[in-house]
Amino acid sequence: MNKAKPQSNLFSTVIWLILIALTVATFSIGEVGLSGKSTMLTLLAIAMIKSQMVANYLMALRQTRLLWRGIMFGYFVIVGGLIAIAYLMGQA
Amino acid sequence: MDAQSVKIGSADIAVTARADFQKNHQKDLPGDFALWIFIFAEMLVFGVLFVAYAFTRANNVALFNESQLTLSRTSGAINTLVLITSSYFVVRGVDAIKRGLSSQCAHWLTGALLLGGVFISIKIVEFHAKFAAGITMSSNAFYMFYLSLTFFHLMHVLMGMVILASIIVKARRGGYSAQNHTGVETGASFWHMVDFLWIILFPLIYIIR
Repeated sequence: MNKAKPQSNLFSTVIWLILIALTVATFSIGEVGLSGKSTMLTLLAIAMIKSQMVANYLMALRQTRLLWRGIMFGYFVIVGGLIAIAYLMGQA
Repeated sequence: MDAQSVKIGSADIAVTARADFQKNHQKDLPGDFALWIFIFAEMLVFGVLFVAYAFTRANNVALFNESQLTLSRTSGAINTLVLITSSYFVVRGVDAIKRGLSSQCAHWLTGALLLGGVFISIKIVEFHAKFAAGITMSSNAFYMFYLSLTFFHLMHVLMGMVILASIIVKARRGGYSAQNHTGVETGASFWHMVDFLWIILFPLIYIIR
């Protein structure tokens, strides 16, 4: 059981609203039909930031030991990085 | 000290060391450590599939971009909002049980479960439209990834719903308390994993071109 201090409901609500706003931003970029290197990197960065927010604040990994946060952060960096490399190869 | 007592002594040390290792590695993660092994394994599988999609696309950019336009971005976005909101409900449920409020915990988790149902309903409508248009996994490489990745994820949503349902039943019976709620945290962790995997999947398959 996680003995970390529970975060306040207001904090969770703010995180939820930020996640909603970032989803709307992602959808809007898709609707406008933007493409290209910078758009791809922006969308990928938004996705990784959102996922990291879910892990840190909703999953409550923020207060766990560095090992677990490191595994989660490393996962998003490696997966996001490899996807970005593949997309850049496709645009070359 | 004879040879047998030395052997028993070293076995005791090994058992104690293993127990210490498990204790140290369990105390921080929310929920049951065994489920976390499963979560990390699932993340790895999805990660490989995401990267495989991206590298396959690199050799078929025109085909992937053209096929991607046939997907409903709106239903993908709504499903993202649905899962994010359900994750928020789960956080509130965990918070409620930490305060010893079993019934409130069950209410929040029921809300999350219902949103899981909304996600599945939207996905079924989406799949039905694709199958009605004659699109299958063998149509092309894009649809193979789209159908297999989203279906695989859907199975995880279903599994998460089964876990949430069993937690709700136990919470309603007073099976959890402020002191004993590992089960709730375990189910919550799985549900959040399902959420963040979709958060990556949605822009990857539906938006980025």
